[in-house]
Amino acid sequence: MAKTPPAVFQQRFSRRRFLGTTIAGMGAALTASMPRISVADAKTVKIGMNIPMTGDYAPWGLPGLYGCEIIANNLNAAGGVEIGGDKYMIEMASYDHGYDTEKSVQGFKKLVLEDDVKMVMMLGGSTVASIIPWAMRKKMLTTTLLPSDITPDTPYLVATCESHPLYNVTGVEWLAEKNPDLKTAVIITTNDIEYGKQSAATYKAAFEVAGIDVLDTNFHGFDVVDFAPIVSSLLAKKPDIFCMATDVYTTPIIEQLFHQGYEGKIVSCTCDGYPDVIAKTSKEFVEGLVFQFPDFDDPKLVGGDVNFPDPGGFDAAFNKDHAGEWSAVAWEYPSILLNWVESAQAAGSIEPTEVLQAMKSDESPAHTFGPGKWWGAALWGLDNAVIGDWPVVAINDGRARIQEFRSVYNWCETNVAELSKQMKDLDLRVA
Amino acid sequence: MSKAGILQIAGILVLLLALLVLPNYLKYHHQDFMIFLFINILVVVSYRLMTLTGEWSLIHIVMMGVGAYTSALLSKNLGFPVWVSMPMAGVSAGLMAALLCFPLFRMTQFYFLIGSFAVGEAIRLAWIFFVYPFGGSSGVSSIPPPELLGIDFMEPIPYFYLVLSVVTICLVILYRVENSRFGLTLHAVHWKASLAESVGVNTWKYRSLAFIVASLFVGIAGALKIHYLGNVTPHQFGVGTMVFVLIWVIVGGYNTFFGPILGAIVLSVLDESLRDLEEFRPAIYGVILIAAIMFMPKGLESVPSGIRQWFSQRKSPG
Repeated sequence: MAKTPPAVFQQRFSRRRFLGTTIAGMGAALTASMPRISVADAKTVKIGMNIPMTGDYAPWGLPGLYGCEIIANNLNAAGGVEIGGDKYMIEMASYDHGYDTEKSVQGFKKLVLEDDVKMVMMLGGSTVASIIPWAMRKKMLTTTLLPSDITPDTPYLVATCESHPLYNVTGVEWLAEKNPDLKTAVIITTNDIEYGKQSAATYKAAFEVAGIDVLDTNFHGFDVVDFAPIVSSLLAKKPDIFCMATDVYTTPIIEQLFHQGYEGKIVSCTCDGYPDVIAKTSKEFVEGLVFQFPDFDDPKLVGGDVNFPDPGGFDAAFNKDHAGEWSAVAWEYPSILLNWVESAQAAGSIEPTEVLQAMKSDESPAHTFGPGKWWGAALWGLDNAVIGDWPVVAINDGRARIQEFRSVYNWCETNVAELSKQMKDLDLRVA
Repeated sequence: MSKAGILQIAGILVLLLALLVLPNYLKYHHQDFMIFLFINILVVVSYRLMTLTGEWSLIHIVMMGVGAYTSALLSKNLGFPVWVSMPMAGVSAGLMAALLCFPLFRMTQFYFLIGSFAVGEAIRLAWIFFVYPFGGSSGVSSIPPPELLGIDFMEPIPYFYLVLSVVTICLVILYRVENSRFGLTLHAVHWKASLAESVGVNTWKYRSLAFIVASLFVGIAGALKIHYLGNVTPHQFGVGTMVFVLIWVIVGGYNTFFGPILGAIVLSVLDESLRDLEEFRPAIYGVILIAAIMFMPKGLESVPSGIRQWFSQRKSPG
């Protein structure tokens, strides 16, 4: 399947590119064009992050805060952002809930009631579920990286960046097209609903659509310390593809594949720590490993429809201060922040309901990897997730490199019935 | 009533009055903190009742979960009013404890401790395994808050007063239980089990009753917690949380009714003030626990008497 054709998504002026240009050095020109508004006159708008910054889930929280601070500092250095005729400096307000529902509620209320934030970014799962009743009653614009958190009762909850795990379909689709001889797969994943089972159901649907038989699926707990027996039992099925639907245990599982002499293809949802994987196996072994999250110095992120200002510069800035801490959320939360800036500018207001209205009124909202579409009613009961193109990434010569962009939206529109069936088979909520 | 008794009651009344006005002077964040603190106080005090018999278990937090899940499922799926589902939470936790008495109290001491951990984990894993009705690892969300005369119990201040009322009533009952003939028998079962049995006390029955009553109250604590959070998951009732309860009780001291309360208050305040040192929290807790065992084996509750003793020794030379 080709990249989303322009006919599908209306080509639009990218405010984000404008922001990128601003960040890159047009602060002076901007100031000159609005001489009556100085930095000293600027107001401050706070954006909240209620995320895990410590504990097992910290890699899915803390790098996002670092990334947002880079973007906020850049925007502020360029004089702030103009919203509704006023100049605003962006300030990040964060709360570490450590992936604890009790602290998540405390943190959310603190951010909203004490810090007066205008949007709260969250990871998703049970920590989002715990704040939903209160957040929806307060009409607080809240974001999640797990669109499966969305229900018909969550009008103020949106997933504007990551659409875990829908993007996985593009990797399978690409792999099947490039390797028509691949006919069988096995899946390994965690047994939780938020991440593991959602991802397994999506992969199963993608394999089914691609004509690949899933021979076995292993749902394991979070307490596994030795993957040798699990990997052995899966390899006994002699699969052409070994699929890891969640990333928590990517490194020890790939180590086992290496030690047990696996020679087939490996597909993974994410592989943030791939340098570590290479160090523990070999560059040759992981060559061609397919996953979904690019490094941001990837040449294919420059130009095209990518809606992220200066990805390479961002990558360099992040690694300068936080080397070794990169994960996918490092760019995902900043991307959501940039979405908010665009929508607030379109709304001419920082108020959550007005910003949300501006977001939803855009039929082709800017998504990180190109224009997107509001989607989700068919699966979760509400069109509150933005999906569009997503990159297929493979490891080439020790580096994660984008192979091509593919449309998650087109796949979902065509195959939502299969996806829904697989979700139901795993007792997952479907609208 | 003795003068000391009157002073004690007066002190408690003053404390309650102070608590009635306190939330109006707190930030929202601290109002939430107070709500969870009161719930934790009920958890540790009910746990102490169990320890009176000399048995320490690792299942107490899971029994809290039994109450929490019961109230969540009754109110959300079956439409029970929260005012009904909350007491039912206590009843269900008590019934579950009654069932578990048969396998668990065939063991004592260390074996009981390990047995209680195994049974607790089995229950917790059942919540994860059975997606229907427990919601699997995601648990149950959108649990309704209580409804009464249009009061918004999703807001911290009304819920603070609800928790304060329920926990105060529960503490009074637990205090009365401990100081009743039944409570004294629990002490006897702990310290003089053979003697108690020789005079006709059924120690198995009293151990079981202590477990059931403790579970009943912690079940109510579970219901109080989840109707405020609006969400219940198996992860809230893991052994990690149980370890915190143990530390609160040990550091506070478990020889008097007020020791665990003191431990919960002091360590919760410390915990909150260490938010910026999150990564070091387990280490800090470890140091506190070791220091408490080494230098305050009777817990924080022994500090005032220790100070009094120190002063009296200084006043009376020789």
